[in-house]
Amino acid sequence: MTPMKWFLTYLKQYRPRIIFGLVLVTAMAALAIVSPNISGEIVDGVIQGGKYEELPVLIMILIGATAARSILKFCVPYNFEICSQGIIYKMRDEIYEKLLSEDFHFFDRNRTGDLMSRQTGDMEAIRNFTAATIYAVFENILYFSFALLMIFTVNIKLALGMLCILPFTALTTVLQMRAVKPAFRGIRRQFSSLNAFVQENISANRVVKAFAKEDYEMEKFEKENDAYRDAELACARVWEKYVPVFELFSNVLMVVLMLYGGYLAVAGEITVGNMVTVNGYLWMLNSPLRMAGWYINDIQRFVTSVEKIYDTFSVEPSIKNEVAENEAAGNENPEIREAGNKAAENKTEKSGAGENVDLGNRNSNNKLKGDVEFRHVSYRAPDGELLIRDVSFHARRGQTIGIIGPTGSGKSILMNLLCRFYDATEGEVLVDGVDVRKADLKKLRDRIGMAMQDVFLFSDTIEGNLAYGRPDCDFETVKKAAVAADANHFIKETPDGYDTIVGERGVGLSGGQKQRISLARALVKDPEILILDDTTSAVDMETESYIQKQLKNIGKDHTVFIIAYRISSVKDADQIYVMQHGRITERGTHRELVNSGGYYAQVFAHQYGKGVTEHGKK
Amino acid sequence: MARNKYDVDEIMEERFDARQLARVGRYLIPYKGKLILTAVLMLSASALTMLIPQFFMNVIDRSIPEKDMRSIFMYSGLSMLIILYSVITLRIKIRLTSQVGQGVIHQLRTDLFEHLQELPFSYYDSRPHGKIQVRVVNYVNNISDLLSNGLINTITDLCSLIFIIVFMLAIDWRLTLMCMCGLPVLAAFTILIKKKQHLAWQIQSNKQSNLNAYISESINGVRVTQSFVREEKNREIFNSLSDSYRQSWMKAVRYNFMMGPTVDMISMVTTIFLYVVIVSWIRSGTGTASIGVMVAFTSYISRFWAPITTLANFYNSLLTAISYLERIFETIDEPVAVKDAPDAVEMPVIKGKVTFDHVDFSYEDGEKILNQVSFTTEPGQSFAIVGPTGAGKSTIVNLLSRFYNVDSGTIYVDDIDISKVTLHSLRSQMSVMMQDSFIFSGTIMDNIRYGNKTATDEDVVRAAKTVCAHDFIMKMENGYQTQVNERGSRLSAGQRQLISFARALLADPKILILDEATSSIDTETEIALQRGLNELLKGRTSFIIAHRLSTIQNCDRILYVSGGRIQEMGNHEELLEKKGLYYELYMSQYRFLEGA
Repeated sequence: MTPMKWFLTYLKQYRPRIIFGLVLVTAMAALAIVSPNISGEIVDGVIQGGKYEELPVLIMILIGATAARSILKFCVPYNFEICSQGIIYKMRDEIYEKLLSEDFHFFDRNRTGDLMSRQTGDMEAIRNFTAATIYAVFENILYFSFALLMIFTVNIKLALGMLCILPFTALTTVLQMRAVKPAFRGIRRQFSSLNAFVQENISANRVVKAFAKEDYEMEKFEKENDAYRDAELACARVWEKYVPVFELFSNVLMVVLMLYGGYLAVAGEITVGNMVTVNGYLWMLNSPLRMAGWYINDIQRFVTSVEKIYDTFSVEPSIKNEVAENEAAGNENPEIREAGNKAAENKTEKSGAGENVDLGNRNSNNKLKGDVEFRHVSYRAPDGELLIRDVSFHARRGQTIGIIGPTGSGKSILMNLLCRFYDATEGEVLVDGVDVRKADLKKLRDRIGMAMQDVFLFSDTIEGNLAYGRPDCDFETVKKAAVAADANHFIKETPDGYDTIVGERGVGLSGGQKQRISLARALVKDPEILILDDTTSAVDMETESYIQKQLKNIGKDHTVFIIAYRISSVKDADQIYVMQHGRITERGTHRELVNSGGYYAQVFAHQYGKGVTEHGKK
Repeated sequence: MARNKYDVDEIMEERFDARQLARVGRYLIPYKGKLILTAVLMLSASALTMLIPQFFMNVIDRSIPEKDMRSIFMYSGLSMLIILYSVITLRIKIRLTSQVGQGVIHQLRTDLFEHLQELPFSYYDSRPHGKIQVRVVNYVNNISDLLSNGLINTITDLCSLIFIIVFMLAIDWRLTLMCMCGLPVLAAFTILIKKKQHLAWQIQSNKQSNLNAYISESINGVRVTQSFVREEKNREIFNSLSDSYRQSWMKAVRYNFMMGPTVDMISMVTTIFLYVVIVSWIRSGTGTASIGVMVAFTSYISRFWAPITTLANFYNSLLTAISYLERIFETIDEPVAVKDAPDAVEMPVIKGKVTFDHVDFSYEDGEKILNQVSFTTEPGQSFAIVGPTGAGKSTIVNLLSRFYNVDSGTIYVDDIDISKVTLHSLRSQMSVMMQDSFIFSGTIMDNIRYGNKTATDEDVVRAAKTVCAHDFIMKMENGYQTQVNERGSRLSAGQRQLISFARALLADPKILILDEATSSIDTETEIALQRGLNELLKGRTSFIIAHRLSTIQNCDRILYVSGGRIQEMGNHEELLEKKGLYYELYMSQYRFLEGA
């Protein structure tokens, strides 16, 4: 699909309305031609010619025509505005949906400000085109052809003489189209870049202040601001070359009429009256030509934006929900869905998309067992670095798994593979015996509660943030989760309690408070698999131990993954994995690992002092 | 101060619009010359082009009947010259107006951005970032057309309107007055809809802001959204915001679309009225004017209304622009709570003595965060701050950097009251490393160098080595030149902390503040880090907030804060002996260990 074809799919939905609008435009143009004629008739016939009895009739017609035209003048743009807003609404919706389905690589590639420009500045160009340019161009073509036709009926030679200008017009159009497009691309690029810069500056306001780098930011901003202005001015320099050329063409018609028409009149081929008539039509030839340059701008601006939007969003996410797509195609197989987990587990090797158990059916409300298995999983980043190397483990329902290891050893990636934010490049990740790639993506993620390392909160109330995964749940559920995460008491202390609005990224809350809100948010979902990715690093140990007790009370049927740097966070886990350089290098219980004298034992010794090592062994 | 969120419109106090326009006027002053030149050129061109119809009439009336080809050539030639002149002026106009328009919005945007840099945390904390952004980028853009084309067209139209009125008055003053009867009606109409129109555009700009805020948040929070499977719900919210945007837009443009037809109607009614008057004068013979004069007059009527239509359009876009301008100026006028005192001096090179003298502090709502906090550090000391979450630990260090002003009490650095020195000279000698480590889009090299622009590549690498970031950086595809970004999943949280650590070090601060800065760094790295740091911390005062006791027990002094008060102060051994709160905290880690 080309960008234009893509745009046309939206335009087509409004075909009847657009055709209707164009019919109205035709009527409007016709009335625009009628009114001056009537005025002329009043001046010529009534005032000069003395036919006073015609005046009332002519005035009635004039009033009728003006009233009709006034109404049309309101209705036509309104009608096209409806179309354009409708199209934009649809586009926004679909682009937004696409945006939310994009994988992490997409967001690594595109800056926030760039993505926002697609939804704002570029949309504006499309809005302007569908709301104004379409019908204005049509209206001008109508005038132009009508006037030309009328001039032909007056005198063919004169009409042909005026037509001489058309090839030049066409040539200029093509030249301007070609010249202005790169200029608009430049504007869009700089707009995007300015937007991205400002967005980043706003997000980074704390860092900027902390480093007292306001001057430096100003300097960078000036560069962006200058570049954007220069792009606009560069574009203006293209117009200034072409727009006056159209102005020239439009005025040259007058000279053609004067010179060639005068010659024809002198030669006796046309009458003076003919020349006056043609002069009366001249504005209909003039003004379309005069406007042509501007319309070409609008059109190219629009084309550039459509291309920009299309380029950004035509990238298919690499992680797709195959089940949902198959279901949409009617491929689901209810019989096999009924089959037990055991059976599925045996089958996974050869199971097709339709043969999934519960996980494969997004409508099923059944809970998961919470059985997680990694089989020889490796993950290679798009840049070629091998981040996970041949990891295998099996976490059973109700188990707590602690994962510890150096920064950047692949702990979070392991969990991202489980949630299918990335797909393993080798091996398979199984949940309840189903390969996650064959599971229903949304169902899978819905049953996994993840408290992420980077806590992102929304500018919403605390309650709204806690209930993010279950917007319809009752307050009791929210509160219970908050209590379990030891967040209830500090939330109650905030000015409006659960109704306190927290800023983006949770500013206004301390690191530990944010982490607890993030944990409670995951708990509200009541998931079978719970992932705590470095969730208690900023809370004190007392709070941490309280949280861990709470987590135990929540139920024995949760499979919990705890990623941490603190021994205290993982020491109670049923199994502790040590990750180094993308591999699991040690595994066992706290006691086993302390005794084995490996990485874990070293970390333990450091965190608790050498003397305590003995203490721990007891 | 109430916080704003994406689905709540920002409140706008009704203001007098003329003042906004006068302010914009000030931005135009530097371009006075260009504006006048453009207006003169345009007026001369339009006056000259008015001659062309005259030439045409001469051709028709005289040249053709006289079969005088020479005069036809002459008139055509003259017309051609005039046309060439007007084409050249048009070209100059396009260049000048875009220079003016872009120049003004460039300046406006610079002022807006510059002010934003001065605004305190609380400004950023109290509203979605997308709403700030929309002002700097989109709103400013929205007024560019008004300032370039709109303004020039208005000037030229006003002038030609005056020309025409003078012409008409010369022909017949009574008819002219009748013709102008329509103007009060038009004025009444514009006044009638002005308030509604203005309000409609204010609402529209709010809805645009809301939508923008939500898009921005959706992008930044996309991982959470995906992991919580909130896509459909978010889409619903997005669509409802998008729909109210659409509706507010449709409502607002309706008023704009009413303008053109109204002018048409009024002009037509006046014209008809004139026709009737003229005809009755002719029939009764009361008029003083000849038929020819009246015919000439009718030809001016349409020329009289054409510029009024353009002026009406300008008025429309003006009202639209005002709703954006109000927001822009509102931001520029936002008071800066923390700013340099009028007589602020440069902070001399900091030695590192920090004193808090009975400091009280509360955020917006009056709840006391710090209560009579007093302590002193000697230059070069490392100072740990511990205590339960929400005790006010971060607030203490934020006050030291003067991110907020104290309610009462004084903070001294080297016995100089920090509210008496310039913010820049104070902050540039401190480095704060926050738990949220922000990564700018760009290379890793640039990110570290952010701390000190003048640092060489070698300096950057040395800083990275000190914080143990060098190894993982070198393992990346392009080493220090690897591109990263804010949301980048390319770096783990710990790696991001190490990069911002290196950034802080490179700034060569006299006072280093680590606010839970190493929470996501593994112990092994931390040990290595500490080794490098010990060397570096010599001669620098440092404040360390951490939960891992291994990180803090080697500090010179430890401050135990709880409930906004300092409860205990001393070194590790002293506090353990005291068997107070710190002792409890310290022992608890073993207690929890036994719980295993």
